[in-house]
Amino acid sequence: MAEWNAYYQNEDEDEEQEEGEQSGGDYKVTGRDSLVFLVDASKEMFIKGEDGEPSNFDMTMQVVRSVYTSKIISSHRDLVALVFYGTEQSKNPRNSFKYVYVYHDLDEPGAKRVQEVDALRGEKGARLAAETMGSGETSLGDALWCCANLYSDIKLRLSHKRLMIFTCRDEPHRGDSAKDRQARTKASDLKETGVIIDLMHLMKPGGFDVAPFFRDIVSQPEDESELGLHLEPCDKLEDLQKRVRAKEQKKRAMARLNLCLGEGINVAVGIYATAVTARKPAAIRLYRETNEPVRSKTRTFHMQTGSLLLPSEIKKAQTYGKKQIVMERDEVDSIKKFQDPGLYLIGFKPMEKLKTHHHIRPAVFLYPEEGEVKGSACLFSALLMKCSERNVFALCRCVSRRNYPPRFVALVPQREEVDEGKVQFTPPGFNVIYLPYADDLRTLDPPQCPSASQIQVDKMKEIVSKLRFKYRSEAFENPVIQQHYRNLEALALDMMAPEDTEDLIMPKVDQINHRLGPLAEEFKDLVYPAGYNPESKSVAKRKTAIVGGVAEKKPKAEVPEDELRAHVQNGTLGKLTVPVLKEACKQFGVRTTGTKKQELIDALTTRLTDTV
Amino acid sequence: MKRWRAFSALVLCMDVGFSMSNSAPGEEPPFELAKKVIQKFVQRQVFAENKDELALVLFGTDSTKNPLDRDGQYQNITVHRHLMIPDFELLEEIENQVHPESQQADCILLIGIEALSNNTFNFTFQGIYSYLCILPYFCVLSLPFPAEDDEEGGGDSDRRGPGHPGTGKGLSREQKESLDLVKHVMLSLDEEDGLDQVYTFRDAIEQLCMFKRIERRPMAWPCQLTIGSCLSIRIVGYKAVTEERLKKMWVTVDAQSNQKEDVKRETVYCLDDDNETEVKKDDTIQGFRYGSDIVPFSKVDQDQMKYKHDGKCFAVLGFTKQNLVRRHQFMGSQVVKMFAPKDDEHAGVALSALIRALDELQMVAIVRYAYDRRSNPQVGAAFPCVKQDYECLMYVQLPFMEDLRQFTFPSLENNKKLSPSDTQLSAVDSLIDSMMLVQKDDDDADQKDIFKVHHIPNPAFQRHFQCLHHRAVNPGTPLPPMEPWLKAALERPDVISERCQAPLEEIKRKFPLIEVEKKKKLKTSAQIFGKDAEEPDAKKAKGDEEEDYNLADIAEGSVTSVGSVDPARDFRTLIKLKSLPFGEVCQQLTHRIEQLLSNKNTHYYMKSITCIQAFREQSVKVNKHSLSSFWEKLMMTWEFLKDEVEGSTVSKNEANQVT
Repeated sequence: MAEWNAYYQNEDEDEEQEEGEQSGGDYKVTGRDSLVFLVDASKEMFIKGEDGEPSNFDMTMQVVRSVYTSKIISSHRDLVALVFYGTEQSKNPRNSFKYVYVYHDLDEPGAKRVQEVDALRGEKGARLAAETMGSGETSLGDALWCCANLYSDIKLRLSHKRLMIFTCRDEPHRGDSAKDRQARTKASDLKETGVIIDLMHLMKPGGFDVAPFFRDIVSQPEDESELGLHLEPCDKLEDLQKRVRAKEQKKRAMARLNLCLGEGINVAVGIYATAVTARKPAAIRLYRETNEPVRSKTRTFHMQTGSLLLPSEIKKAQTYGKKQIVMERDEVDSIKKFQDPGLYLIGFKPMEKLKTHHHIRPAVFLYPEEGEVKGSACLFSALLMKCSERNVFALCRCVSRRNYPPRFVALVPQREEVDEGKVQFTPPGFNVIYLPYADDLRTLDPPQCPSASQIQVDKMKEIVSKLRFKYRSEAFENPVIQQHYRNLEALALDMMAPEDTEDLIMPKVDQINHRLGPLAEEFKDLVYPAGYNPESKSVAKRKTAIVGGVAEKKPKAEVPEDELRAHVQNGTLGKLTVPVLKEACKQFGVRTTGTKKQELIDALTTRLTDTV
Repeated sequence: MKRWRAFSALVLCMDVGFSMSNSAPGEEPPFELAKKVIQKFVQRQVFAENKDELALVLFGTDSTKNPLDRDGQYQNITVHRHLMIPDFELLEEIENQVHPESQQADCILLIGIEALSNNTFNFTFQGIYSYLCILPYFCVLSLPFPAEDDEEGGGDSDRRGPGHPGTGKGLSREQKESLDLVKHVMLSLDEEDGLDQVYTFRDAIEQLCMFKRIERRPMAWPCQLTIGSCLSIRIVGYKAVTEERLKKMWVTVDAQSNQKEDVKRETVYCLDDDNETEVKKDDTIQGFRYGSDIVPFSKVDQDQMKYKHDGKCFAVLGFTKQNLVRRHQFMGSQVVKMFAPKDDEHAGVALSALIRALDELQMVAIVRYAYDRRSNPQVGAAFPCVKQDYECLMYVQLPFMEDLRQFTFPSLENNKKLSPSDTQLSAVDSLIDSMMLVQKDDDDADQKDIFKVHHIPNPAFQRHFQCLHHRAVNPGTPLPPMEPWLKAALERPDVISERCQAPLEEIKRKFPLIEVEKKKKLKTSAQIFGKDAEEPDAKKAKGDEEEDYNLADIAEGSVTSVGSVDPARDFRTLIKLKSLPFGEVCQQLTHRIEQLLSNKNTHYYMKSITCIQAFREQSVKVNKHSLSSFWEKLMMTWEFLKDEVEGSTVSKNEANQVT
């Protein structure tokens, strides 16, 4: 049991270490992203669908809310605004525009804002909207101008600016050509300042025709062939959500590199992280009196003289074989340097050579950067087509950043896939799979076990078939993070208790049992002898182990001083387990800050060699 | 219960006798080579930092120092070092104290080694898996030997120690006999592992150049796989693949004394005010950001309210088709293999039934996995893995909804401008042909992989140890260049490089690649100073308002022409930056003014007036001539528009003011 315990802690350390170092998904942020929701508040938006389906307005508010909350979780530094147009009342910074109601200024979304959007949802929301804003005339030009002012009033640097228009009216000015023209001019002004305008057009009776008016308003898609205008309007919340979601996040390259095929053949590519482990954010320290955040400063100073140490007065050291090895700080960096950042093609391999279990990190995504090297997209596209056609992957050596040691990666081709609505669900490009080195594979000693007979296998197949479902990667929410934010939400909004979260990764035991019916018993009869209980056996074992472990541990933990000294002398302390070492530390009054084995060993070694 | 220890004891035996000093002219004496092998080997052990213990026995020494030294037996054998963990001291001793000596060590002695090692070392290490490695002795007269068992080098070889020279042609009968004898001794010494690798010295040195790969003992994670509440199978998980890291971190030391105790790091907290008032750590509490809000949330509350679960579990949520779980969606940093417990045959059968069922149906289990009560639960997939000698489930973590970023990218194929022509495609085709890293074996249907990444030792570790070792042995000298073998291991194999020359030339011809001239790299202060520079930047911009252009804008380098939003500002900025010729900027501005005037709206008229003001002020500064010529033109336009201006708020008076 002692050993199991020791393992337990090692494992935990491992995970911590991994968490600390795994920051693969961070970007160099050069400014804030911003997003303005420009929502039509005309009467048409409030018309409820048939069979009590939510109105377009209601749907929009739900989407806005989900964007707010997801921004809070994933990118709280982004700025979001909510502006209504076609209102009766007006409310905007200088009140210079009529029929424009700035509900939320461009700012970081917070708890209060979420509540305020919530207030606009449903029946009640519609009533509230009618009271506060009402529906009036429409001037999209003014609305856009007002939005432009929102952007220009921000003193922060904005890196990505997006504006989404939610409407179900394809002719907002009912043919008033002057207003149409003004709106177009204003839209082109906005586009010139780098704002991307999207149209989230909603269902209306008679269909939504993009062509006459909105075609000139929205931004041109990134390339001509892309169907920038989804010609079908959204009529389902889910669709709308998907559409907004796809646009809402700015895709930003983690790095721009050259993919070098050979001497002088460099294809410019961007690396994108399409899946990054979301974590609970780090806590911030607040001053107790005022609840204002405090900043932390870390200083390095000399113990004896108390003077601050300059970087040049510090060196780095490691101890091996009882010898301290010292290096300069820049030497430590230079050790890690092999080549300049980039991808270098080694060759190609058939797909079956890519093993499922060769997995060490989440994959990243590769897409050409035509803006860096002209012609990249063409060669990239040719490589992609041919690799996919021939079912091969490209093996590359990859240095992702300066002073990063090389890793080998498999570039796995991925062709574009679109759904019925022509919405892309798989983008074209290469997935970059990181491959393990020899050090990363552990040698295991698999136990020899008898194989199951075909009858047993067939029974299991029945079970498997009963519990089939269609896996979708976005189906599972992280219960830990959700709970954390519900808690914060409750505290921030002074709620009595946090909202309940459903743990989606909990097996639905009753349903499973029900579906299996007698199959579970039948299978057990086939594989387990009578009286065999997989649960009780291990539980019983564990219990005795715990009881015995506690009783046993005490005497075992103490090691006679002579023996310890002998261990220290021979450098064999490592043979002892962590609990024993801890006990020994206590015994000699050695104070240790760390719990890592090596730290304990080091502490003991210094202590015992000093006193010899 | 028998404790199984994963470290081993190892006795290095080295012949230092007189035969080791003999060598053909021009060749390195075997003694030197043997010493090198031993040094390299000890180095590896030192850096591997496992608990393997090492002893060094010299024989053929002039003196005798060993516990069996009795009645003239076991003469000329010196136990130089008893079993202990190797360190730099030992390396230095080998360097400085091990010299060729003059005694002859005979065959009998050799056979005595077993007895010697048993008697000397084994009693202290009862129950420990003892493992003996013998380094060569007398038969190494004519080096190098062509090795007999030339095993494929790579990852698996470094589990065993180096052996002794192999047999080969050119050996005398006598030598062969002695060699057989050695082999016999060695094989009988080690029944479990078998000394199956026999190297010549040169091979051994090459093999030993590599530092040992990082090894960690696989740790068992016993659990139960559950399907619903009625069906459970006992399993044991082992981490099989994970990104290994160095076991030791760098410690900060004082540059003068090299003592880490002399350096102290301290973190202080201060308020974000002008004085940076320091506050005590005890006066701070914990909080979290909720968007723009900061919510005070104490540790106690947090623990109370956080997500809790029942601990360790491996519960099936359902089964799905393998192809729905995409390879690029694997998350986390590890693969865990699940086996049945060693002593539980029934669990083995049940697990095997599940593995085979999944394998035959091409499906996977989607499971909830929690390592223990303190760690966060995950969702993941358990893949079936059926190998010739074992079966297991392989667990990989899958993403949560929060982890995913659904990006859309412009289509590549449907874009006419980008899509490659047929000749271009066939060039890529022949490139792929020439660069295939697999070769068809004649006798084997299987393809042979000529570049196995998982056989390459992590170059970062190799380099790290190389530098550390260099610094330890040669203090005060600069770090060495990278080892040639390591460099070569990271390059394209020579066969491929040769083969792909022509196809690459073809690609170069067929695909023009032009590097785009960067107008100016967007290097902002934020990039240089980190994102905190953002706020001061904004402040600075505010302070500069009288200059009427935004510092941030200039830093961004975004103004390249006179735009329509704020033409006056753009104009001023461009004049300041001098990135375009003055005339051109003027032309752009006049164009904008004309555009603005054609819009019949007060706002636009006002805008055009600010433009004209800007134009005037800059022109006066820079060049008077262009102003006058423009002025004439402008006045003409103005006159032309006059009628339309009527009724607007811009009076003629105002217009005159401007001039």
